[in-house]
Amino acid sequence: MNLPFLLPRELRALGVLGMNQRNAEFILPGNPRSHYPRVDDKLLTKQFCEPHGIPVPETYAVIERHGDLRKFHQLVAEHQQFVIKPCKGSQGRGIVVVASHDETIFTTPGGEKWALPDLLYHLETMLAGLYSLGGQPDRILIEQRIVRHPVFEPVSVGGTPDVRVVLYRSVPVMAMVRLPTRASRGRANLHQGAVAAGIDLKTGTTFGGVCQNRAVEVHPDTKAPVAGIVVPCWSDLLAAATKLAGVMELDYLGVDFVLDAERGPVVLEANARPGLAIQIANRTGLLPKLRSVDATRR
Amino acid sequence: MSARRSAWWVAAVLVLAGLACIALRLYVRRQAQLAHDDSLWRITYKVKFNAARTGAGLRASAPRDTTHARIFRQDVRYAGLAAQRLKSTRELSREFALASLGSGPHTMTARFDLHLSPKGRWRPTETPLTPQLREQYLRATDTIPASAPLVLETLAKLDGTDTTNRVQRIFDFCVHDLRHGDERTPHDAVTTLRQRVASPLGRARAFVALCRAAGVPARVVTGFAIQETTELEPQFWAEARLGERWTPFDPANGLSGTLPEHFVPVARDRIEIVRGTDISELEAKFEAIRLPPGPGASRFGRGRFGAIFDLTRLPLDMQEPLAIMLLLPLGALVTTLFRTVIGMRTFGTFTPSLLALSFVYADWMTGLMTFAVVLALGLTSRALLDRLKLLVVPRLSLILTLVVLCIMLMVSVLDYFNLTPSAQAVILPMVILTMTIERFYLTSEEDSPAFALELLGATLLVGVCCYGVLRWNAVGRLFFTFPELHFFTIAALVLLGRYSGYRLTELWRFRDLGKR
Repeated sequence: MNLPFLLPRELRALGVLGMNQRNAEFILPGNPRSHYPRVDDKLLTKQFCEPHGIPVPETYAVIERHGDLRKFHQLVAEHQQFVIKPCKGSQGRGIVVVASHDETIFTTPGGEKWALPDLLYHLETMLAGLYSLGGQPDRILIEQRIVRHPVFEPVSVGGTPDVRVVLYRSVPVMAMVRLPTRASRGRANLHQGAVAAGIDLKTGTTFGGVCQNRAVEVHPDTKAPVAGIVVPCWSDLLAAATKLAGVMELDYLGVDFVLDAERGPVVLEANARPGLAIQIANRTGLLPKLRSVDATRR
Repeated sequence: MSARRSAWWVAAVLVLAGLACIALRLYVRRQAQLAHDDSLWRITYKVKFNAARTGAGLRASAPRDTTHARIFRQDVRYAGLAAQRLKSTRELSREFALASLGSGPHTMTARFDLHLSPKGRWRPTETPLTPQLREQYLRATDTIPASAPLVLETLAKLDGTDTTNRVQRIFDFCVHDLRHGDERTPHDAVTTLRQRVASPLGRARAFVALCRAAGVPARVVTGFAIQETTELEPQFWAEARLGERWTPFDPANGLSGTLPEHFVPVARDRIEIVRGTDISELEAKFEAIRLPPGPGASRFGRGRFGAIFDLTRLPLDMQEPLAIMLLLPLGALVTTLFRTVIGMRTFGTFTPSLLALSFVYADWMTGLMTFAVVLALGLTSRALLDRLKLLVVPRLSLILTLVVLCIMLMVSVLDYFNLTPSAQAVILPMVILTMTIERFYLTSEEDSPAFALELLGATLLVGVCCYGVLRWNAVGRLFFTFPELHFFTIAALVLLGRYSGYRLTELWRFRDLGKR
């Protein structure tokens, strides 16, 4: 049969988890709403990670009030490179990575230049909640910039790749690496055109590949193959993910790591509603793995 | 899976409860027969006319409630015409106004169902007589020359002890001293008094002129004396203000004080029931038929607790907006289907249904055009505003202000080109529109303009489907009569809430998983 889409029974045979099933059977019963702030607020996530020795990027400063913005250049004076993030942002929105600055002009790794007033305006909108979930007033996190691990050099353009591990009841069930492309403007966001590749949970080796929901073999910009990359410190990464899942008390959790050239895997954020594209990246469905966790944990 | 099982149980209980409520309502309705002597009637207006230009107006007055008559249902049908609001704030008439969307021949049909009762069981609201209205009902006009010498002369012979007595003498004069004329008899008060020959209208006018000359506020009433006929002729009688209420006098039939229940007023202080501007060949026919006892006119007007659950007893003006409101859950159901079963994403969850709701009040062409223009202008100004670097809340408020101004400008422009006959044609949900502009702008900046357009397209598509549902008059009326039908809606939503199957878009999204 050569239909341009799959039939429901074919998807079921592949064990594909759909959005409704994810929400109804895994997120609603397994993730208590009261624990959401732990993942929705990056600062809180960090506070959960640090006492348990889960590595996170070093926090340089937190801006909570408009008044603090006046001190912004003092806050960042010591650091040539840093990342500015809204605490409650999602999908990488609002994030500014600064690779160098001279206190008036801030340059991103892509060469984009921000004048100080523009950057401060951006920070104001961030505080007002433009990038936060539900539009609530937000805080700003200024933290260490992660230096891209050389292993991903040939397959990323303009940004830092991240590794997502999806855990169910603290058991890693699937993982993928997301590689920024020119289309995704350096962000590791799949729906903006980043490439994803599945990761073999046992070996930490990448396989498969997906871009814009289509299977791909090579990075669209660099043309380097996305399969066969061994993710460094894989067992440490999995151990950190498992520990974090236990701390967060969320049954269905996605944990995003970046690999720092010096520190190894560092937790960037966690997600209580991780997306389903990981199935395409791994070229297989999540459902059998989730069911087998249920079976062993009963 | 206990949650799923309970969902099924809840849905089943809701369906049963809905069925039980409907059965109960039907049973009560069958039991609640009309009181002895009560009757139900349907008056039909059949109007034909030729519009000279786009925007030509037609106005028709609807029958009014009296103590003995209540209109419990109305239905106005037309094509190529745009509806304007029913005007019933003034006590004079309850008019609905239509404007033609093009020139040429048009038709309009209006049906009114009435419940007549000789017992006088209703209390229609009466507006107080303001000084302005009092002055209006004492004024001398061309057809009612209350200050003409002949009127004053006639009045001088009809002296009475007090106002009531004097009006009674005027009435007696109009009944006894004026002979019955034929169809050539003029209708104005002065000729009637001079020739002492009266048509029914002339007689009513003479009575009103004499009352006004005597300082008693009075007015001519046009209405129907309802009987089974295909050619119902408008009747003319008068009302005089005695004390704190209007008292009807029908000098043509010699009736005063209380008119029989089948006398239903339609227009007051105006003789035409249907009139127009910029139209020709206006032809209005009125029919009346007696209806069998049926829904909407139960024995219980007030004073029965159970009547609370009967929405059809509400005033007609309230019924139309309420009926649309009752359809809104269906719009939400459509949105739910699109989102959980089809998997389409839109700007905001209820944006489509609310847009659709506003298009129901407007006509969809004007609504959509205004939506497009406001969105375009809003996005342009949003892009320009970005340079000002404003904080979020002031910026949103500013966009809202711009949206309001845009809509006002749009109303004015459309009116200039005779395209919009009514101001309400563009009551768009302005807050929703503001948020849509902001979200569209942010999405196109952060994701891509293509994705923003995709979301906008999906929003409009879902909106169009909601519009289709909300426009469904027959269904609206059904839900109005049986609001408990929404138990089924709730049951459907509960089940959809537990739907964990694939979304239609996922069959496409995961298509590459099938490749091995």
